[in-house]
Amino acid sequence: MPSLSYLVARLLQIIPTFLLVMIFIFLLVRLLPGDPAIAMAEAKATDAQLEQIRHNLGLDQPLPVQFLVFVKNTLTGDLGRSIMLKAPVTEIILSRLPTTIYLALYSVVLAILLAGPLAFVAASRVNSPVDVAIRSIFQVGLSMPVFYIGLLLLTVLAAQLRWFPVGGYGKTFLANLYHLILPALSVALYTSAIILRNLRASLIEVLDADYVQFARAKGLSPRIIMTRHVLRNALVSTVTLLGLSIGNLMSGTLVTETVFAIPGVGRLMLEAIFARDYPLIQGLTLTFAVLVSVVFLLTDVVQSWLDPRLRQS
Amino acid sequence: MKRILPIMLGATLGLLAATSAFAIERGGAMTFARYDDSTVIDPVYADRNPDLWMVNGLYETLLRNGPDGSIVPGLAEAHEVSADGKTITLTLRSGLKFSDGSDLTGADVVFSLDRARDANLGPWAGLLGAVDKVTADGNKITVSLKNPDPTIISILATFNTGIMPKAAFEKAAGATDQEKARAFFAAGPVTSGPFVMKSHVQGSSMSFERNPNYWRQGADGKALPYLDRVEFLVIPDDATRILKLQAGEVDAAEFIPFARVGELGADPNLKMELFPSTRIVYAPINTREAKKDGSKNPLADVRVRQALNYATDKTVLIKLVTFDTGKPMTSLMSAATQLHYGPEPLYPYDPEKAKQLLADAGLSGGFEVKLTTLAGSADDATLFTALQQMWAPLGVNLKVEQVDNPTRGEKNRSGDFDIHTYGWANDVNDPAQVTGWLGYYKQRQAVGTGWNNQEFNTLFEASNIETDPAKRKGEYKRMQEIYATEAPLLFLFETPFAVAVSKSIEGYVQTPLGANDFSEAWRAD
Repeated sequence: MPSLSYLVARLLQIIPTFLLVMIFIFLLVRLLPGDPAIAMAEAKATDAQLEQIRHNLGLDQPLPVQFLVFVKNTLTGDLGRSIMLKAPVTEIILSRLPTTIYLALYSVVLAILLAGPLAFVAASRVNSPVDVAIRSIFQVGLSMPVFYIGLLLLTVLAAQLRWFPVGGYGKTFLANLYHLILPALSVALYTSAIILRNLRASLIEVLDADYVQFARAKGLSPRIIMTRHVLRNALVSTVTLLGLSIGNLMSGTLVTETVFAIPGVGRLMLEAIFARDYPLIQGLTLTFAVLVSVVFLLTDVVQSWLDPRLRQS
Repeated sequence: MKRILPIMLGATLGLLAATSAFAIERGGAMTFARYDDSTVIDPVYADRNPDLWMVNGLYETLLRNGPDGSIVPGLAEAHEVSADGKTITLTLRSGLKFSDGSDLTGADVVFSLDRARDANLGPWAGLLGAVDKVTADGNKITVSLKNPDPTIISILATFNTGIMPKAAFEKAAGATDQEKARAFFAAGPVTSGPFVMKSHVQGSSMSFERNPNYWRQGADGKALPYLDRVEFLVIPDDATRILKLQAGEVDAAEFIPFARVGELGADPNLKMELFPSTRIVYAPINTREAKKDGSKNPLADVRVRQALNYATDKTVLIKLVTFDTGKPMTSLMSAATQLHYGPEPLYPYDPEKAKQLLADAGLSGGFEVKLTTLAGSADDATLFTALQQMWAPLGVNLKVEQVDNPTRGEKNRSGDFDIHTYGWANDVNDPAQVTGWLGYYKQRQAVGTGWNNQEFNTLFEASNIETDPAKRKGEYKRMQEIYATEAPLLFLFETPFAVAVSKSIEGYVQTPLGANDFSEAWRAD
């Protein structure tokens, strides 16, 4: 396992990242054309009402003041009140976050279950018809947009065959396994295509490496060669990729959650952007930043466990 | 014989109505797929359509709108306006109760109306701007006005004046009205309308249950509402909402894209409802002498605006964008709005006339115009392509600018546009709201166009204190004539509210103002 000092160093690196994210997102949402007061009041408000709304939101303050207020409040755990939903941002995000995490984990597990075994089959029979077939199918998964895969799955498996519900969300853990299978699958198809390509390539490379040849020559059983020598080495780059694709996956939920009517933070982000809900956009971005940082940290930990050389650097 | 025929006809119709009414079965639930969720269903704080279209399900008003838009008695069984138009006296029905069984009294009415007109609270307080004082004496409610206000009767049937329980609201936790409202609604609020709210998972689902103390009766004499429960599911994606309906997982889906109306209409399990609406689609034209960048604005010339209107083939647009579900605008307001005046479609397609008008304006050599549209809107994209082709023969070079909704709003407010797309649906069953918004310069520079017509402004101000209905009607007729001639808009079309409903559900209505009315819905299977 990686040492404690390694972990602490990695954790400390997160702090400047967050500060940068905060500055970046604060400026970015304010660079967007359009005004939350107008978005909030829609068309029907008078100019005086808009002034009042801006004042209530503190948007009539100079930018540096707004930024300091934002930083100060964030440090005390107060992400402000959502303009659109008229409730504390922290409360809203906490109520929506579990759904998205569930969906993300579900997709990752499905992606690994799909890509893992097939990568082995493909790598052990390079360029055979089976290998070509597997790669072609996943190539399609990679080149189709997630929302399109989602709609296809919905139309065929849910609306026509009625095997699964059309969108929505269950109430228990098990009910969710059933309810969220199509959205998880539509995201997983994309992720698994990336993993499959990478894992297949590294498996082929490792299977060909001298130390594996040597192990074979020594007469070790194929099972031991696979688990001790091949898998461990082939997984290093795949884990990195998996970590990166979880970051991608969070952005994928923006679309998936809308298509499948899942009340997670992805859909919330989309709504918040359209409503120019500054506090909510800021809060959600920070949340995404935390999640991605945690995933990257875990990736690093797993990597350094798989490959001890990484711990020294 | 002459006399007998109408009587027999009446009797037959009455019998038919009665038998169909007797077939209504009480109970059951329906599931309704919405395009967006409500954030707050407080009559006062509701500010977006998904909020305010739900308010009447929970809160009843003193007066109500009949199916044809007329004013009918609500919680008040009678109302009377004084000769000088400055006092409205209403009589509350006896035995009214809130959903928790407590009595609905004059004190609740005073509380609700005072709250509704408090400018520090909700965005709709201005609608009650003329109110000076509301008092109650037993079941007599007196609304005193600072000046006569012909819209006040409609306002007393508008969602923001829904009657809330004073005692229960004040008991809710919190120091300010906002905090109390939040606590009150979070706890499952006490209501006066047909339903109570049982649960609400923000962004996902909401559930209404029948209010056992609701006062109204249906045509069959049974207590309303018929349904025990209405479940709402929030499904923002159009395609998913329709799939859910086709899979039988929901009983109704709202905001069906017009492109799919034909397909769903042919589905034997569904009824494709196109409810008449006050929704209009139009394009405000910048009428200021100079554009935002200081250059001369050709659209300031009324002849140019008329020419563009004549050069626009509305029937083609209606076919392309609304798949023939829409109809051309005949006035600044929809035909479903009270006091609408518009004997015929405005500016029928006449390219020759358009050419002549442009020549008169000295622009036969052509010019460039920018159309600001909503990015990602298929309707706007179609509109742009069609207009570009229709206007090209006149030498009008149409450029597109695609923005999102808040940006479009900002451009409208700052006058930084040539022409942009827009839409409207009335919130109040009175023409003053849409007329003030589209044409009255002092409100918002006539929907941001900068159009400032003295006669129109004067008429609008006069009509707002005019208590003689005939005179007010005359003022509205003239305003609509002026507006039609002056054309500060590209008049496009009116569209219905498209809701697809399962064959097993009867009696669901979306009103011309957009409100979702489940009070008389029932399950037929």
